[in-house]
Amino acid sequence: MLLTSVIIVLREVLEAALLLSILLAMSRLLQLRIHWFYVSLVAGAIGSAVYGVQVTAVSRAFGGMGQELLNAAMQFAIGLFFAATLSLLAMNYYSGPRLRALLLGCMAAAMALVVLRAGAEIYIYLSVFRYGPEPGFGMLAGSLLGAGIGFSVGALFYYLLLSLPRPWALLTTCVLLTLVVGGMCLQAAQLLTQAGWLPAQLPLWDSSALVAEDSVAGQMLYTLVGYEATPTALEAAVYIAGIAAVGLLLLFVRSRYK
Amino acid sequence: MIKDPLRRTTRLLRVFALALPLQSMAGEAQPVVETEIRDHLFFPSELVVPANTRVKLVIFNRDPTPEEFESYALSREKIIMGGQAVVIFIGPLAPGEYSFFGEFNPKTAQGKVIAK
Repeated sequence: MLLTSVIIVLREVLEAALLLSILLAMSRLLQLRIHWFYVSLVAGAIGSAVYGVQVTAVSRAFGGMGQELLNAAMQFAIGLFFAATLSLLAMNYYSGPRLRALLLGCMAAAMALVVLRAGAEIYIYLSVFRYGPEPGFGMLAGSLLGAGIGFSVGALFYYLLLSLPRPWALLTTCVLLTLVVGGMCLQAAQLLTQAGWLPAQLPLWDSSALVAEDSVAGQMLYTLVGYEATPTALEAAVYIAGIAAVGLLLLFVRSRYK
Repeated sequence: MIKDPLRRTTRLLRVFALALPLQSMAGEAQPVVETEIRDHLFFPSELVVPANTRVKLVIFNRDPTPEEFESYALSREKIIMGGQAVVIFIGPLAPGEYSFFGEFNPKTAQGKVIAK
């Protein structure tokens, strides 16, 4: 029970913590205030509880495909907010402070949704406490341990990013966040395929022998670059399209504001 | 600006026409495979499905506690609350074995899809 809890909570917290470190590092590099961070944590936590309480209703919606549709919509929205964040950051980088409130709003919205996705799963997992004291101490200790490890890795990653020379740090965070946008699009497409709303296809390749998705490396890559071991043609196309869209957006900002 | 109602109707029709193939795809007769969760175990835990075909997987959770169906091999993940059933579309799969598990009780809730 202890180990299971560690793994479940770690997996969820790690994803949120890594994305949070990228955004915090970006904020630090551009000397932005980080009060948005508290807002998104609180909003995300409240959202998780609401999702957790309503999950049966969510599941039943849209002919039993409510979970997939809502989660796909959230993944896609996270991608959009990250894309907006990147464009606004580039604008700030090239031509001084502008639209700061909007930039902070986009970061906060994206992060709140990331926290909501992770938090809801943890909430539902821990809700088994309602069915008796049997899971007990091991589960709680494991969850805390998992959360602790997750946040520690996030903090390490944050300091690792900030230890790079400023231009490299900015470039790294921007490239990672761009790949994350592709990953969010891919996951949204995957959820819609699971719901039967997008055509099902055979995977293009299987790289799970190289990097298994359930390995530590696989989990990190999944979060940071949207890694998927068995992508279909549609998923690969959506991944590339997401990255290309952000790339074009950044080129446009550069030509306009540099 | 007042929109031309006829134009709007044709646009709507066009949207429907686009949606139709998707609809028929979802409604097409396809293999259905069922399994259920009891005491954090899958019954049956080995699901034989035809290869290279999309399959509708129905999972009943007979336990009072929530479970999450999870499979890295199938790239699928879905929460199943206690006493509920869910549908997940899987495949098309190349012949082979694809393991899945209940993420909340991974020590016991293990199974695999065998595509033939």
